[in-house]
Amino acid sequence: MTQAEIKLCSLLLQEHFGEIVEKIGTYLIRTGTQPLRMIISDTGLLLDQVKKALCVLIQHNLVTYQLQKRGFVEYEAQCKRVLRILRYPRYIYTAKTLYNDTGELIVEELLLNGKMTMSAVVRKVADRLTETMEDGKTMDYADVSNTFVRLADTHFVQRCPLVPETPESPDAPPPPAPTLVINEKDMYVVPRLNLVGKGKRRRSCDEEENGEHKAKKQKQDGESSEPPPDDGIYWQVNIDRFHQHFRDQGIVSAVANRMDQIFRSLPAGYNIVKQVLDQYLTLLADDPLEFVGKSGDSGGGMYTVNLHKALASLATATLESIVEERFGSRCARIFRLLLRKKHLEQKQVEDFAMIPAKEAKDMLYKMLSENFVSLQEIPKTPDHAPSRTFYLYTVNVLSSARMLLHRCYKSVANLMERRQYETKENKRLLEKSQRVEAILASMQATGAEDAQLQEIEEMITAPERQQLETLKRNVNKIDASENQVDETIFVLESFIESTVKKP
Amino acid sequence: MAEVKVKPEVPDPMDIETRIIELCHQFPHGITDQVIQNDMPHMEAQQRAMAINRLLSMGQLDLLRSNAGLLYRIKESQNASKMKGSDNQEKLVYQIIEDAGNKGSIWSRDIRYKSNLPLTEINKILKNLESKKLIKAVKSVAASKKKVYMLYNLQPDRSVTGGAWYSDQDFESEFVEVLNQQCFKFLQSKAEAARESKQNPMIQRNSSFASSHEVWKYICELGISKVELSMEDIETILNTLIYDGKVEMTIIAAKEGTVGSVDGQMKLYRAVSPLIQPTGLVRTPCGLCPVFDDCHEGGEISPSNCIYMTEWLEF
Repeated sequence: MTQAEIKLCSLLLQEHFGEIVEKIGTYLIRTGTQPLRMIISDTGLLLDQVKKALCVLIQHNLVTYQLQKRGFVEYEAQCKRVLRILRYPRYIYTAKTLYNDTGELIVEELLLNGKMTMSAVVRKVADRLTETMEDGKTMDYADVSNTFVRLADTHFVQRCPLVPETPESPDAPPPPAPTLVINEKDMYVVPRLNLVGKGKRRRSCDEEENGEHKAKKQKQDGESSEPPPDDGIYWQVNIDRFHQHFRDQGIVSAVANRMDQIFRSLPAGYNIVKQVLDQYLTLLADDPLEFVGKSGDSGGGMYTVNLHKALASLATATLESIVEERFGSRCARIFRLLLRKKHLEQKQVEDFAMIPAKEAKDMLYKMLSENFVSLQEIPKTPDHAPSRTFYLYTVNVLSSARMLLHRCYKSVANLMERRQYETKENKRLLEKSQRVEAILASMQATGAEDAQLQEIEEMITAPERQQLETLKRNVNKIDASENQVDETIFVLESFIESTVKKP
Repeated sequence: MAEVKVKPEVPDPMDIETRIIELCHQFPHGITDQVIQNDMPHMEAQQRAMAINRLLSMGQLDLLRSNAGLLYRIKESQNASKMKGSDNQEKLVYQIIEDAGNKGSIWSRDIRYKSNLPLTEINKILKNLESKKLIKAVKSVAASKKKVYMLYNLQPDRSVTGGAWYSDQDFESEFVEVLNQQCFKFLQSKAEAARESKQNPMIQRNSSFASSHEVWKYICELGISKVELSMEDIETILNTLIYDGKVEMTIIAAKEGTVGSVDGQMKLYRAVSPLIQPTGLVRTPCGLCPVFDDCHEGGEISPSNCIYMTEWLEF
């Protein structure tokens, strides 16, 4: 794992789970697989803390454990999985577009809690939705269950691996760590639950902000103390399925951009006459982009989507866009030229790109220093004398993609640090505003007069209010840009993964 | 009978030379020593050699080497008259320049190699020849300090002057830019027109294509170019548009004889919109930061005090 990735992982863990978890997580990422003893001794934390932290990490699928042959258990951190935390907002947004608010909340709950049983999810989501609805209306459990079932059917959520059913053998001691198995077929099977009920609205009162109080309230509300019927069947979010969806979206939008005139005239809905459909398919197949290929004539024509080519084109387009924004459109011209012609001499670059020699040289050297292009030497004589060697410029897409991916990780880490810095700078102000709001809320509840309320409000002066506004705006901006960089990360990662041969 | 002494006829030296020249005219490709000997068997080797040497020094004969031996060839008469005033070395240099057949020009260092004359001599001779208006110096676009020489009446080659894009050794970048934009506008408007027509997609796509011939005609009619441009010139401009990512090209097979086809193929160009929007990384200051590698927490340059970020946040 590169330095940048480790830094980013530690920042993410710290922001979402706190110092202790961050310490242990970073330690595991840095040193690889470790048994419990080593973790305790190297991090210097208490056994209790380490245990709890590991529990949290395992619950969220960030750390896996394995039973070694010698009989002890080793823990390993999944660095890639930690980086996915950055993408949570995108998952939630996708669920919202596909399955409305219900879906959005289900996915959000699952992501926040790592693994949950279906009944727990349904209950929580129904409660949350009921709050946002108007007075008197409540959310039915059945609706939420339906959405959950639909999510499982389209494989967006999946079952977690379970402890296998082993016959009880009192002689053999239980293994120190259970091995979890899951049957492929069972992964998306929704248990038959009879969830009847409606969401409960929380009564608005002071202890709302405190989550613990809410839990107590729920218990007091007469929830049955028996374990729910689907105890032991936990569900988690299927991240790979979301990635597939993002990838498809990316390809579709790229094709739409390229064929814009045709897409505009496409009638809404799928009622296209066969003739027109044929024409569109032929057009897609003939396009120089080569995303769609025709692989035969059976059944009137077999068409396939060339995923590898599509990912490569998207990654190349990303590279080109980065070069264009950083160095200018003339450099982008040279870059695209080198991509097409693979290897070119200095003189040929000038001729093809129609750029004066001095400028072309300058741009090539600048790109060379940033490692976007590289030189290939072809000697004419065995002694490799520079005056008698051909020097060819070339672009290596895979290595450029890796370099840019590394840069993306560092950029996100920088953005997060800046955000934390901004928040820290204004901590005093934030605390003050929070106190004022708390006072206001309590006074409103006890029915204070307007004059008193105004007096409290004026405790925050106008410039301070301005500052708060600016802070909020900045934090939002940085947050949004973190998500944008994550989109680039996704494209580059998918491309690099697709080039690695699976054994 | 009285003994008549036959005096060996001493052939007149002038006669020998004229005879040799006649022989050379007979065999324009050149004659060997053997041929001369056969023709005038009574001539002695020494006299032959003298005659040949005289002809060579007068510049009427060329001395060449072949597998069979030495060849003597008649030289062009007009050159012979020109050369009257010059000496051997100058003639040699002139010959070398003339022989640089294909490119029509030759570098001064190459002249030196071929003639084995020292540098100072070469320079003097070249100046002499230039003043006599037999050769001229042309500056090359590739290396502006390099001087190439060619015969006075020849036109410099395209590779030396650079063709239509160069005027007086300067690359005309504004000219190229203007042409670039004009071609792109033409293709864009064609694509727009095709879009508006709203016919079925096949026809729409095909009508948004323009062949290189069409673009060439359009540019010629616009008349923005002082120099006449060929279709290949326009194709190089269109290629730069492809490298800009604004245009795509396909090649179709065309019947021989249709307007604009080259070797049974025609190149069609179409304006396209970019594949993706500018990517996320470049929307943040870090993506474009010049000191990215020096930036780390706690250092002089760090995210907390990054001036680019501060400016960007105030935007």
